[in-house]
Amino acid sequence: MIFRLKYLRLFCCLAVVVAAGCDTVEPSFRLNMVEAVSNDTGDAYQQEIQNVLGGMFGSPDAPYVLPETGLDQARLQVAAGPAWSDQAGTNHGLYRRHCVHCHGINGDGRGPTARFLNPYPRDYRPGIYKFKSTYNASKPTDEDLHRVLINGVPGTGMPSFSLLPGSEVESLVEYVKYLSIRGQMETALIRYVYDDLDEEEALDEKGNPILDPNGEPVMLRVPLDPENEPDQREAILEILGEIVDGWNAANEGIIVPAEDQIPSDSRTPEEIAASVVRGRELFYGVKANCVKCHGPTGLGDGQQDDQDYWNKVNKVFLESLTQKTSPAVEAVKQEVAATLYPVRNAIPRDLRLGIYRGGRRRIDIFWKIYAGIAGTPMPGLGPASAGATGTLTEAEMWDIVEYVLSLPYEPPSQPQKALPENLNPISSAG
Amino acid sequence: MSPGCRQSELGPIAEAQAAANVRASLSEGAEAGTGSSAAGSTGTGWATLKGRFVFDGTPPQMQPYNVNKDLATCTINGKAPLQQTLLVDSATGGLANVAIYIRKASRVHVSLESPPSRESLFDQKECIFLSHVYPLTLGQTMQIKNSDNVGHNTNIEGKNSFNQTIPAGELIDFTPQKEEAVPVSVRCSIHPWMLAYFLPRKNGYYAISKPDGSFEIANVPAGEELEMQVWHESAVGPGHALVLDTPDAKKLKWSKKGRFKIKLGEDEVKDMEITVPAAALGG
Repeated sequence: MIFRLKYLRLFCCLAVVVAAGCDTVEPSFRLNMVEAVSNDTGDAYQQEIQNVLGGMFGSPDAPYVLPETGLDQARLQVAAGPAWSDQAGTNHGLYRRHCVHCHGINGDGRGPTARFLNPYPRDYRPGIYKFKSTYNASKPTDEDLHRVLINGVPGTGMPSFSLLPGSEVESLVEYVKYLSIRGQMETALIRYVYDDLDEEEALDEKGNPILDPNGEPVMLRVPLDPENEPDQREAILEILGEIVDGWNAANEGIIVPAEDQIPSDSRTPEEIAASVVRGRELFYGVKANCVKCHGPTGLGDGQQDDQDYWNKVNKVFLESLTQKTSPAVEAVKQEVAATLYPVRNAIPRDLRLGIYRGGRRRIDIFWKIYAGIAGTPMPGLGPASAGATGTLTEAEMWDIVEYVLSLPYEPPSQPQKALPENLNPISSAG
Repeated sequence: MSPGCRQSELGPIAEAQAAANVRASLSEGAEAGTGSSAAGSTGTGWATLKGRFVFDGTPPQMQPYNVNKDLATCTINGKAPLQQTLLVDSATGGLANVAIYIRKASRVHVSLESPPSRESLFDQKECIFLSHVYPLTLGQTMQIKNSDNVGHNTNIEGKNSFNQTIPAGELIDFTPQKEEAVPVSVRCSIHPWMLAYFLPRKNGYYAISKPDGSFEIANVPAGEELEMQVWHESAVGPGHALVLDTPDAKKLKWSKKGRFKIKLGEDEVKDMEITVPAAALGG
C-alpha cells in the first residue's frame, strides 16, 4: 500500500510538472523562417546560423552582446529573463512583464495577443521604426524610442509606459535595440550564407576533384564555422559593424528644422489662417500629392492598395507559393506560410480624427511630412538626407502641418468639397 | 514542449556549446583573418562577354496592370498598360530584362572605374517606370523624373532605402551609396501597380538584356575565372536567381543560385546563346 502511495505521489508530481508546461520551458530565440526559406537556407545552415547568433547575442534568459555593439549588458540583463522582483523591490524581466505578449520573445511582433491587434505589433527584427525624428533611411534615436514608450502609440494597442521608473524605460529601450540588432544580424547572416558560402568540389589527396559514379564532381557544403574560419569571422564582425554603425549614426540623421522657418508662437489668427489656406493648396496639389492617399476629404480613403514593409514581406512570400518549385521546397514554404498572419493593406491615416500615432506636436507632424514614415508607403517631401534635394521648402511643409492640424476642427456639417484634380496637364513635349 | 503552449515554432534553436565556442572566437576579434576572400587577380588583359537569352516555350500573355487611380494619365486610350514581368520578343524569342553581372571583380578596366556619366535618368510616364530593370554604377546620381501630369512617389527598398514624392513634371536627384547583391524593388505607393527593379553595383560589369534578349559586357578581366550572377524577376530560384539545368548550362556548371563561372582569353569576344526554358520562369 505504502509502495503504491509512493508511486501515486510520484505520478501527481509528474502531472503537476507536465501541466505547468509552458512556464517551465526556457524560451529560445527562433529563426526568421520567411528569410531562411526565401534564401534557401538548408537545415544544417539554419543550425549553424542559430549557433552563431547564440554566440553573438545569447538567449532570451541570458542576453549577451559583443562590446562592438555598444549596448549596455547590465541594462539588457534587467530587461531580459523571467519576470520577478527581488527583496529590494527591483523588477527584473521587464520585457517579459510588459512587452512580450504582443512583441514576442524574438521581438518579431508575434506574441500571443498579436494576432488580435490591428495594427499588428511592431516586428523589431528589420530595425525599421516609424515614429522618429530622423531621415527616412536613418535609425531612430534612443530619445525617439523613449518617446514611444512614454507616450505609447495613440490609436493602436501600444500603451504608455510613463508610470515605469526612468531606469526601467531605459532598460527596455536598450532591449528593443538589442532585439533589432540581433534581428538585423540574423537576416544579414542568412544572406551572407546564401551569397558567400557555396558548395565546393571535393578534392582527393592530390588535389583532383573526386567524381561520383556518374562522372560528376562530388560537392561539399562549406559550413558556417567562424570558430575555425578566420575569413568568416572577419566577415561576420564586418557585417555587425555595419549594422551597429547605422544605429550609432542615428543622432547625425536628426532633422533639425531651420530656425527662421519655424512658425512663431505669436502669430495672429489671420496669419495662422493664411498658413492653413496655403497648406490646403499643397495638400490637394500635384506637388505634395497628399490627397492621393489621404483622400479628398482627408478621411484616409484614397489609395489603399499598398502595404507597409512588414506586410509586404509576407505578401511577397505568399505570392512566391504560386510559383512552381520542387515538392520539397513547396512543403517547407507551405509550413512557413501557415504561421503568417493575414496580410493587411496600409490604410492612410484618417486626418480628421485628431489622433496622431507618432505624436501630436507640430514637430512630430513636421518630421512625418519631411521624412515620410519609414517602412510605410508614406513618402517624404523633404530632402532624403542632409544636402539632398527636397520636394518642398520647409515653409511649405510647415503650412501642410498647419492644415493637417486644422482638419479635425472643420465642422462636419460643412464638409470640404474636393478640388478638381489635374486641370492643367503639363506639356508632354520633351 | 507541450502542444498549445506556443504557436507553431519552426526551425532549430542554438546549441549551447557551439554558441559558446563562436562567442569565444568572435570575442578574440578578427586579427587572424587573411583579408578579403575575393579572388586575387591572376590574369592580364581584357575580354568581352556577350550573348543572348532565348526563351524556350510559349510566352505567357501579360495581364494588364490593375490601374485604379488617375485613369486619364495612367491608361492609354482607356486601356491599362500590360505588365512587364516576362517579356519575350515575338520575332526572335529573345528574353528581355535579364540582369547578368560579375559578382566580384578582381580588377576593373580603367574605362569602368568611374561611372560612364555622373547622372543617370530614371523616368516614369503613363504610370510606368520606363526602365523596368534599372542598373546603376555607384557614384552616379539617379535623376528620378516624373514625366506625368500627376504626382508620383518613388519608394526604393533595400540598403539604399528611399521614399520621396516626385512632383508632376519635376526631377529629384538621389545618389545611392550601397551595392545590392540582387535587384531590389522600386514602387510608387500612390499607384501601387507601378513596379521596377534597381541594381546598384560598385563597377560597370553588368548588363540588362535588351528586348531581343541580347547583352554585352565589355572589358571584363581576361585570364581568370569570372563568377557571373544571372537574375530575372520571374525566375523561381532563391531571390529570383535564374537557375538553368539545360545541357549547355550544365557545361557552365550553372549553380542553384543562378551563377556560373567562365574564363576568357585576352581580347576574346565570347558570344553565348543561353536558352531559358519556360520552367525556369515558373511556366
